[in-house]
Amino acid sequence: MLLDLHTHSVASDDSRATVEQYIKWVNVLRRKGKSIHGFVLTEHRQFDHDVDYSKLASDDGIIILKGAELDTDTGHFLVYGISEQITNELDFSDVNISAQNLVDVCDTYGGIAIPAHPGRVGIGFAEYLDNGVTGFETVKTVEQLNGSNRPGEGEKAESLIKAKGYLGTGGSDAHIVSAVGTCMTRFEKKIANESDLVQELRNGRFTAVKLES
Amino acid sequence: MKENLYFEDVEIGDDIGPIKKSVTDKDVIEFVSIREKEITPSRFTSKEIANNEGMPEAIVPGPMNIALMSQILTDWSDTVCLLKIDVVFRQTVPHNQDLTFSGIVTDKDETGDSTKLECDVVMENSDGVKLVIGTGVIALPNKP
Repeated sequence: MLLDLHTHSVASDDSRATVEQYIKWVNVLRRKGKSIHGFVLTEHRQFDHDVDYSKLASDDGIIILKGAELDTDTGHFLVYGISEQITNELDFSDVNISAQNLVDVCDTYGGIAIPAHPGRVGIGFAEYLDNGVTGFETVKTVEQLNGSNRPGEGEKAESLIKAKGYLGTGGSDAHIVSAVGTCMTRFEKKIANESDLVQELRNGRFTAVKLES
Repeated sequence: MKENLYFEDVEIGDDIGPIKKSVTDKDVIEFVSIREKEITPSRFTSKEIANNEGMPEAIVPGPMNIALMSQILTDWSDTVCLLKIDVVFRQTVPHNQDLTFSGIVTDKDETGDSTKLECDVVMENSDGVKLVIGTGVIALPNKP
């Protein structure tokens, strides 16, 4: 099963794509023979428990899940399996969340926090580790493939993964419609909801892939 | 530029462009001089001032970038009517760099109520880094 684990809709201030447009584009990709089963909305610095995409998703046979991309003191982190306990413990709008606390809170309350685009200058996990940041023993996975990577960022992510023995996910980091699915994560097992997603990310049964041509 | 492109000719997923161009110092000065007859040197027109503000080159003004992003759509065909353009500036755009502008049709009104098309538009540098992204809404005429 192929899921894009990193997308932004118009709920994020720097995106120009609606969820409905992403769904249409996934169907366009499918008509072109490409394989994509769904995507995870990872809006910047926010999470809305009440938004429900299940009807939209089921109408088109697409998995649409919700996560978030948070700004931390150690770069951006993708968060999946967000429960009310997690949003009660953390201020998602804070642009300098303690990343270690974020990871610990997610570990405690059934979520998972993964460094996003770790090779990016200024907001990537690798730079912080290079500068002596320690801890994060429970982090086992980082975003390996990011569709918005600049030159050198993918290589830096690969070096980090190799050095630390991390696993890697893939996500497009789409901010416009046609970017969705350019990078994805291939799961061995079917993912139907956020709990499945967290379980499979914790079990390590996945690989990062680019959209097949 | 395609001649006489009609709504019926276009499918979702059709590519627009690409167009390659470089914005020169002279281009920017001409653009800025539309508003300012006596141009005050700024990060947009002076490399020295841009350097002092931490930028390696003078940069292209935002409204000019929007105009350039619009041009990928309006240059597609004489028949294009640009209804809306909405862009996100992801990085500054330096002068005198090779830029590639491209678009893709992402939605088409199939109801017959309008001849509107939605498009993604992207400006990339020579490393493939997306400097400006956005969406546009255009209309094409029906075939006579």
